Amino acid sequence: MIPTLAGRLQTRLLLFIFVGIPVTLAFVFILAGWKWDYDIAMPFLLFLATITGLGLLLDPVYIFLQTTRWDRDWPFAYQFFFSWVEFGVVFALARTGLIPWLPVAVEGQQPPLVDFSSNAAIGLATLHFTLVFIPTFLALLGPLQTIFVRWRFKGGQLGKL
Amino acid sequence: MIRFPVRFRVRQIGIDGNTMGNSRILLCEEPGEFLIGKSEDSDVPLTGDAVSRRHMSLVLTTEDVRVRDEGSTNGTYVNGTRVGEQVLELGDQVSIPGWLLELLAPAESEASQTRIAGVEVDASLVSRLVITDDTSPPPARRNFPEMEFADKDMVGIEALRASGHPVEEVKFCAVGGGLGSFVWVDHLRCYGIPASDIRAIGTEEVCYRTYQRYCKNSQIPDHERLRSNSLSRPDNIWGFPGYAMREVGKGIGVKGIFQVFGEPTLSESYTPRAGDVFESLDIEAKRIGWSDMLIKAQVLGLRKTSDGRYAVAYKLWGGEAHGEARNRYIVADVVHLSTGYPATRFVDDFQSFITSYPDSRAQVANAYEPHDQMYAEAERRNGPVQVVVRGRGIVASRIIQRLHEARAKNPQIRILHSMRSPIGPRDGAVFRKARRLVRNNVEIQPFNWPKSCWGGDLRVEYENAGEEERGVMLNQLGGTTTAERSDWIAIAERGSEEGWYRPVYGNISNLKPLPSPGPDQPDGVQVSISTTEGNEEVLNADYLIDCTGLIADIRRSPFLADLLDTYKLPRNHAYRPTDSGPQKGGPTGLRCTNDFEIEGLRNSNGRVYAAGTITTGGPYLAVDSFLGLQYSAIRSVDHLVTENIHKVPNLGPLRSFRGWTKWMTGRQP
Repeated sequence: MIPTLAGRLQTRLLLFIFVGIPVTLAFVFILAGWKWDYDIAMPFLLFLATITGLGLLLDPVYIFLQTTRWDRDWPFAYQFFFSWVEFGVVFALARTGLIPWLPVAVEGQQPPLVDFSSNAAIGLATLHFTLVFIPTFLALLGPLQTIFVRWRFKGGQLGKL
Repeated sequence: MIRFPVRFRVRQIGIDGNTMGNSRILLCEEPGEFLIGKSEDSDVPLTGDAVSRRHMSLVLTTEDVRVRDEGSTNGTYVNGTRVGEQVLELGDQVSIPGWLLELLAPAESEASQTRIAGVEVDASLVSRLVITDDTSPPPARRNFPEMEFADKDMVGIEALRASGHPVEEVKFCAVGGGLGSFVWVDHLRCYGIPASDIRAIGTEEVCYRTYQRYCKNSQIPDHERLRSNSLSRPDNIWGFPGYAMREVGKGIGVKGIFQVFGEPTLSESYTPRAGDVFESLDIEAKRIGWSDMLIKAQVLGLRKTSDGRYAVAYKLWGGEAHGEARNRYIVADVVHLSTGYPATRFVDDFQSFITSYPDSRAQVANAYEPHDQMYAEAERRNGPVQVVVRGRGIVASRIIQRLHEARAKNPQIRILHSMRSPIGPRDGAVFRKARRLVRNNVEIQPFNWPKSCWGGDLRVEYENAGEEERGVMLNQLGGTTTAERSDWIAIAERGSEEGWYRPVYGNISNLKPLPSPGPDQPDGVQVSISTTEGNEEVLNADYLIDCTGLIADIRRSPFLADLLDTYKLPRNHAYRPTDSGPQKGGPTGLRCTNDFEIEGLRNSNGRVYAAGTITTGGPYLAVDSFLGLQYSAIRSVDHLVTENIHKVPNLGPLRSFRGWTKWMTGRQP
């Protein structure tokens, strides 16, 4: 699939809703000891939503980069690389506390249940993103076409041609 | 039993495909063989650049009348299909470039033998061309399908039935029988149409036979790789899993997966092996019941019917039936045309060389025609061999690689690579901000169009563009390119260093035969090149292999020419860039809508769609590719769904996924 701007936005949201959210819910369910815990689930969901949001903002940039390539394509390797860049940027900002809705420990206050500035968060957030990233990236390699047969001709957009 | 004299009507065909001048009658009084060609000692000498000296023979016995191609360059066609030797039936049209011969019915009486259209012709010239002085169109027509079709743009079903020819009614009929037909039928089947509602008509048993022939001739045997993507699978409408993954499953290796991951920037683009593509098509053909739907026949004509359908006239090809029993009609609601390259035309200087010097025919070849003997001879020869390879496309790359392989057997083979002009690293084609890569004076592109023409932003932009803008984009994005393959680059670089490969720049100004320098020494070919510096460089070569490609001209297909004339169908046009903006050039493909419908053939509920090279210049750039055929198929079948007239069910996410699981498990759709 060679993405168009609309295709990028739609596919990103589709994968966030149908892969990202369910995988995150399963992840926090196990993390919380096989039970539902809103206070653990929310930071991870917001974290993933922030990455998705940053991705939506970057998509026009990617499309611009595509127009400088003769084939106006986007190699799978770039997709792979920039997915981790998006994660890295959001996570780095979260650790410094610059993203208000992602909790970090503040001196003199009770530390939050999920503290993005803690060392434990490095492993957990990476694990979480890896679990989301693997199925979404694999889906882009072709399996989505088995459900949306026109998707590859529409540059990643859904619906008819 | 054949009654003599046997009569042929001979007509000359102009470059536009229309007949010119008076028609003539060829009378053959007795059994025998009559040579037709440009040579003066032919029994029937015919003029024309594209006619070979010994082009074909008419072989007449008391049992049958045959036509036999005598190894002509441009081939002998019977009703539009290239033949080697073929028994003729009354009304069959034999064509060679510029000429059309029609086998007429025997005259009713001795007296009328030499009367055509009531005009007496000179009967002393038997077995020779007899020129009638009659300017009105000759009355002798091919009986089928002209009795029902001629001069009509609409026929009634009753008239077809009354003709006595078998009439079959189906919903969907694919005309062509090649890859384009197969992909369209595959979509119909996967959308849920039963095989019993579909017929495909073509002369080949196997849908990829013609494609495979072109591959073999251009030195891509089944184990070599094509220029195609992993996910472009003509046997799988979903394109997943791709050929790279299939190779892993078959134990060929995992390299392809990493290529797909990094292509085209971090690794060379993955491409599938020809044999794997054909094998997968065999499997899909069996799954969808292709052989039950296929009618092995030639399509002779198509007309609208008065009840909003189409009558397709066809003649069974091979098989048991004889004579009139071979002529049949199919009446279909929806017709799909994908007839491929109608006939091949070579570039002019090459064409005139082979017609002027037929004795040197073995010294030159177009890369798409059989020329394996050149490599065999070059490998056998115990001495120097010089080969001129002309052109810089993907075919030239492969031919040079083949010659490099031949060097293992005869290290004295030298390659002279003739290209029009050098292309520097910054001279690649430009489209807005992007510039095409150049390596070793050849423009590099993974596939024959920029990738986003298939499904990215260029597809959308091109589809939405007006006719002139499309023409401009086609010019900017098209052009001759080759794939970036390290082995090909290495051949050019090592060959240049070691002196057995040399690029030569300039226009070929003259080709002429080179007489043999001595006994046991073979003939050669002299290639004169006006170099870019203004010099004349003369290359004395043993062989010339022309890799500049084929020219498609849809009017060369009698079937399409008849459709164009009968329904006055509009065509797409090429546009040439000039200083004062784009200028309209010659006609290209059949005009069709963005859904690949040919609007001029719409007939109340009836619909005709097209695909493949006959739609060149239309709503999609890469029509002549595996993925392009799938694109046009999905567009046209979706159009049927949207219109909801012919009860084609939609392929939504759930049905699509279910269909795919059936494909994966090899169950019928």
